[in-house]
Amino acid sequence: MTYIRWAVPLAAAALLLAPACKRKKVNVAIDEETPRMLSVLIMADPKAEPQLVKGFHGIESSAWRWTEKQFTVALRPPFGAAQKGAKLTLKLTVPQPTIDKLKTVSLSASVGGLTLPPETYTTPGDYVYVRDLPASVLGGDSVRVDFQLDKAMAPSGADVRELGIIVFSVGLESK
Amino acid sequence: MTRARSAAWWIAPSLLCLVLYWPGMTAWFRGDDFAWLGAGIYNRNFHDLLVSIFGPKAQGTIRPLSERIFFMLGFRLFGLEALPFRIVVFATHFANLALAASIGARLTGSRSAGLWAVLLWLVNSSNILPLGWTSVYNQVLCGFFLLLALHFLLRYTETGERRYYWWQWLAFLAGFGAQELNLVYPAIAAAYTLLCKPRFFRGTLPMSAVSAAYVAVHQAAAPAPRSGDYAMHFTGSMLRTLGKYWSWSVGPTFLYSPLTLPKWVLPAGVALVSAGLLAFAVRRWIRGARVAGFFLAWYVVLLAPVLPLRDHQTEYYVFLPVLGLAWLGGWACSGVGVRGVALGLAAVYAAMALPTTIATSRWSHDISVRVRRLVEGVEVAHALHPTQAILLEGVDSELFWNGVLDRPFRLFGLDQVYLAPGSERRIDAHPDLGNVADYILPPGVVANALAREQIAVYDVRGARLRNITSIYAAMPLDTKAPLRVDAASPLTQYLLGPEWYASDGDHRWMPRRATLRMGAPDAPGRKLYLRGDCPEEQLRAGPLEVTVSVDGSTFPPAAIRESAFELSFPLPEALVGRGEMVVTVEVSRVIRPASDPRDLGLVFGTFEVK
Repeated sequence: MTYIRWAVPLAAAALLLAPACKRKKVNVAIDEETPRMLSVLIMADPKAEPQLVKGFHGIESSAWRWTEKQFTVALRPPFGAAQKGAKLTLKLTVPQPTIDKLKTVSLSASVGGLTLPPETYTTPGDYVYVRDLPASVLGGDSVRVDFQLDKAMAPSGADVRELGIIVFSVGLESK
Repeated sequence: MTRARSAAWWIAPSLLCLVLYWPGMTAWFRGDDFAWLGAGIYNRNFHDLLVSIFGPKAQGTIRPLSERIFFMLGFRLFGLEALPFRIVVFATHFANLALAASIGARLTGSRSAGLWAVLLWLVNSSNILPLGWTSVYNQVLCGFFLLLALHFLLRYTETGERRYYWWQWLAFLAGFGAQELNLVYPAIAAAYTLLCKPRFFRGTLPMSAVSAAYVAVHQAAAPAPRSGDYAMHFTGSMLRTLGKYWSWSVGPTFLYSPLTLPKWVLPAGVALVSAGLLAFAVRRWIRGARVAGFFLAWYVVLLAPVLPLRDHQTEYYVFLPVLGLAWLGGWACSGVGVRGVALGLAAVYAAMALPTTIATSRWSHDISVRVRRLVEGVEVAHALHPTQAILLEGVDSELFWNGVLDRPFRLFGLDQVYLAPGSERRIDAHPDLGNVADYILPPGVVANALAREQIAVYDVRGARLRNITSIYAAMPLDTKAPLRVDAASPLTQYLLGPEWYASDGDHRWMPRRATLRMGAPDAPGRKLYLRGDCPEEQLRAGPLEVTVSVDGSTFPPAAIRESAFELSFPLPEALVGRGEMVVTVEVSRVIRPASDPRDLGLVFGTFEVK
């Protein structure tokens, strides 16, 4: 009966305390401010993430992202772009391991069916890929920009990801 | 022993438990928890209640006390407040620690041995999930009933008082409500009496009959799977599995350490502790202490039921068995003569296990915090947009398998939560657990829902949910007809013909004939799959004939014989590249129940081309 002597007061205490534990209305904060689409995507900014349509890996060193062989972003044409056109700018790094393994890597892009001239990188370093875009492809609320590399490092034991180049930012700038 | 020392002896293990596993105490829900929390939300009558308490679920398990009643009652009393659940889990384990210490002391004749045993048990990293994930409460409660029954058996053999024998029976029978592992208790009782108190051995035999009956009834209600991860393999693999579990028992789980160690360190540590333990057991056995054999028997007997699960090895499967080794180790640590060596080996064991225990306990807690942010964030979003579905962008593998798969949102009445198109690229596939595609809204449906303002889009990647509906609406989205149509969803209503009845939340009825538009196959060799339910009332008149046609071409009729159905039809190559196609479904008869004046054909379900 010793057990019951302990169990009864414990159960009674639990029942008395139960209502105090009843869950209050949830009041967690969420960000309801609906932001506009960005014209320039800084890779370190998590807010840019929804516009990275595909082909990007996670943020590294709070600054940059590796891409896959193909990668795509959605960008808001800047003010006046529908009349004057805009400049597509991609800030990137071709790292030493990419050149060691692939020797050269070519980057090309297409916007709204328009293919932009490619650029070939033969040495490691920082580069800016810049191309003029005509007003005719910048009419809507957003444009899709598809980038393509001719080669990428295949997934391996050291890294299970497909690795292309390192990107810091991509954007459309007014002319 | 003074009063203070006695109090410390009882309380110290619980305090250490709280300190070591504090992240578990403050954890939220995740994964299977949501399935159990929602087990009773659709109950309409007493029969439903009985089914939700005793019906076989998840690999055919029937655990009314530790899963069904625990979660259903807890959810009714506390909703999604996790703390009361966690308090119950820890309180039960405090009782386990007290019982384990007491049993250890009685069996070895040393209170110090009992205390050492529970300390060694607590250090083992198999405690992390039982103490950190509410779904694994079944292990903790099963341990409670096993230890309670053994405690009463010891009291019975010590005093000869019959009432303890019957208390033991009561604890044993209650244990079946916690976990099927309870069925091994008769073997535990038999091993103890046979080795230590042979006079009482016969009294344990009737319990074996109860376990045998339990196995027979359980097997009839929920036959053991013959294939898949939970299939049993009575082969040499059992020894390999035993070896693996042994290494997780005397070292860290998965032989994983968060520390950077040379490769040989953990295997060497495991070998050292194993040799010490076994040598101590043999030494005691030779000196006539048969209880050393009982401690090893506890380990093997409690592990035996999971050894045939070759393809499903789980860290917490050693949680209860390892207590046998902890009793043995605790005894060595308290004994004269070998104490120094034993304490040294205990230190080696703790040095191997503790970093894993601490790091993994934190990891498990942090997942639950991420899940809480998601689930409570969606609850708030739903309150702000009560008429809209919610689309989640940025869900990764960890968040999906722990916070989306079991549809926690239905616990606050929200069925319409989807993942953004492309989410499958961020989520690892585990077909044995579920199909990610079932949760993803096709781009065409998203574009339509955005245009009609039927959906709010949230980015879940940051510290809190962020409404990105306007960004998402401006994104270029593929607007072609989807290859998968969830007929129940209000968001796909625009694809359905006018014949369909209104959605009933998670399903939608069709009359005798219904049509819908969907994407045509993008490559040859694709099939059209229809999934849904056929009411029992329909099937009473025999198999139901279903005729399906696509863009006017009719397939040979198919017959539905069981309530839950999946039909498939090979699609003609001529449809490839057509973009969109019209599917027509017609059933040979309809029902009109007394409670519903409509002509009812079939319940859907999904239509999918793949």
